[in-house]
Amino acid sequence: MKDDRRTSHPQSTINSGRRRALKQGAVLGAAAIGAPWVMRHAHAADLGAYQQSKINWRQAEGQSITVAVIPASYFQNLISITPEFEALTGIKVRYDKVPPGQIRQKAILDLTSKTGTYATHAADPMYYPLYVSNKWIDPLDRYLNDDKLTDPKWFDYDDIIKGWREADSLNGKPYGMPYDGEVTVQVYRKDLYDVKGLKPADTLEDFVKNAAAINDPGHRIWGCALRGFAGAGQNMYIYPSIFREFGGDWMSGGQVQVNGPKAVEALDWYISVLSKYAPSAVRNWNWPDIADAFSQGTLGVYIDANSSATVLNNPAKSKVIGKIGYARWPKGPSGKRVTSIWNWGFPINGALSEKAKRATWLFITWAASLETQVRTSWKFSGSTKRPGVNRTSLWRNPDFTKVMSKNGYHFVEASLESLEHDTDVDWRPRVPQWPAIGDIMATEIQAALVGQKQAKQALDEAQTRINGVMKKS
Amino acid sequence: MMAQAQVSLAGRERRFALTLFLPAFVVLLITTTFPIVYLIWNSFFRLNLSMPWRSGFAGFGNYVRMAGDARFWHSLELTAIYTVCTVTLQVLLGLGLALLVTRIRKGQALLRVVSILPIVLAPVVVGLFWRTLVLSPDFGVADFATAALGFGHPNWLGDPGLALIAVIAIHTWQWTPFVFMVLLASLASLPPDVYEAARIDRANAWQRFWHITLPLIRPAIVIVVILRMTIALSAFAALFAATGGGPGTATEILNLYAYRMSFNELSLGYGSALAVVLLVITLIVSFLMFSLRRQR
Repeated sequence: MKDDRRTSHPQSTINSGRRRALKQGAVLGAAAIGAPWVMRHAHAADLGAYQQSKINWRQAEGQSITVAVIPASYFQNLISITPEFEALTGIKVRYDKVPPGQIRQKAILDLTSKTGTYATHAADPMYYPLYVSNKWIDPLDRYLNDDKLTDPKWFDYDDIIKGWREADSLNGKPYGMPYDGEVTVQVYRKDLYDVKGLKPADTLEDFVKNAAAINDPGHRIWGCALRGFAGAGQNMYIYPSIFREFGGDWMSGGQVQVNGPKAVEALDWYISVLSKYAPSAVRNWNWPDIADAFSQGTLGVYIDANSSATVLNNPAKSKVIGKIGYARWPKGPSGKRVTSIWNWGFPINGALSEKAKRATWLFITWAASLETQVRTSWKFSGSTKRPGVNRTSLWRNPDFTKVMSKNGYHFVEASLESLEHDTDVDWRPRVPQWPAIGDIMATEIQAALVGQKQAKQALDEAQTRINGVMKKS
Repeated sequence: MMAQAQVSLAGRERRFALTLFLPAFVVLLITTTFPIVYLIWNSFFRLNLSMPWRSGFAGFGNYVRMAGDARFWHSLELTAIYTVCTVTLQVLLGLGLALLVTRIRKGQALLRVVSILPIVLAPVVVGLFWRTLVLSPDFGVADFATAALGFGHPNWLGDPGLALIAVIAIHTWQWTPFVFMVLLASLASLPPDVYEAARIDRANAWQRFWHITLPLIRPAIVIVVILRMTIALSAFAALFAATGGGPGTATEILNLYAYRMSFNELSLGYGSALAVVLLVITLIVSFLMFSLRRQR
């Protein structure tokens, strides 16, 4: 809340004293609410690292942009150090915090109406095909290749995690700049595995075997869990990996195909392992429910985002701190491991004026730059050091790994290897109609999981509905 | 002369009344009438945000599509079951509780306060509360109860058949107190002399209830049923939080289907048409209920 106060500070005097006034406002506001760490930031903003970039940071001075983000700690860290950006560039940034359930709709409403309300927003990578097919956002290559706007050596775009860059690109052109992201990995109870002499699963078959070995509902411990709740970002966040690992391909002859034999096998595997070795409540569980169950010590293993480590290591809630291990996705029958390419990236709204676009680009490069990534991660003065940094070099940085290895055994290794080897840009169908497809699939997968339908029947019905969506609507 | 002055006085009064009324009327127009008109307007268009290039006038296309949409008919059926069950249960339970509590001499105020608690909770909170703390198998309160009673571990929200029962129970739990309070108030206002007369005539408890109490509180019951029906028809938040319409489509009432269509699939035209159908159904039901009230 304190940051809303700062960012909405009245912009009364547009002159050289404005920054000072703003800074004082921030200090006063922060002191009033009792958050001394904001004060330290406002005072000791060391901008030297940014000024090594051979661009003029002040070229869009006086511009004011609005950025939509979700209320999550990784964005909160960015918001906290935004006074540094304002001091560096003279650009005023206002944040609009929109819950994840609504940010897509709000962004789309803004983009369709071409009002340019949000200069940029935290974008779902699956929405780029839709944005691009409507020409709502600008390709970023023209900004990247403009030496007035980007110092390629300083910014080092290629250092950003490849899978995320690809996820935010279309036809080889970048459209979004990854700021924070995650991979899905196995999260398992190392203590229980060690006692039973188990190793984290290398194949999906092993995964089932491990789950069977641990499963003991009589003593309130279940073998495994995977997201079961219906939703494009819920069960359709996990199933696509399984589908790809079984060798499935979303596109067939230019059409989205979801009911092929590989799809049925993948869905049958998902249903079978959850019916046998997961608590039956899993049918309605999203990741927080699973993370809660795991931190209460009732699950042997689950596959989900590595970012849930923060929840699992919360001493107030968790009973399993120090007992957690991480491993890459088990291999599927096709020999592939497929993890999520989820990241929150920043696109540039095409409806903005040229000058506002430049200001937005400066903001985006600032947020995605190595220095800001460091300052919002392990150098962040608040309590949450965000683990989702966007650069390969940072994932190898000893300072980062030292902080992050507290999350559990092999946290950094499993995450980094997944990031480097297991990302698959086509893990979900990248078409403009994804919002509808994601929802249709989610509903049918859950219907099959709860036994309303057989896997084949559910996928056939999904296919019929998807064909309808692709044809008319 | 006198009459003229009176007319102009009346005119002034009217003008004054109009000025007082106008701001509220404009606000009402902007916040309720306009969105409804816009909704109806949208329902005649092909309007899909994920495919804007296909947007255009569709005439009754969206409504025709509905006729062949099995998921629509399914959601309509669920809406009917959900509404009839929740309203019936609420009225029966609410009336029973009211009859019981009205006999209590002391501590009625406390009971009223306690019973208001579910109503003041936000429906989303109610949905999440039931989902995670009460109905979750192996973890929820209800599970301990069923296990202790030897009924095993029913998966309330994960089993398609049970999920519908569960969401009906949630809605009934939250809104029965409303019916209870209204009927309690109306029972308290009944004239005691009628009952005395009935007692002298040796009417038994059942006869007194059937021939005196029920006819006297009938207007209150009708109003309560109307209110509860319109709310049940447009139920959303608690259901959305508890099951999201699932598992699969087992609890996807029309309102949720319209939401999913509009905001998850971004098919705003078809979603609007679904919402218009719900609106029309709600209007017809309320109209029927009101005409029922006017009888006699």
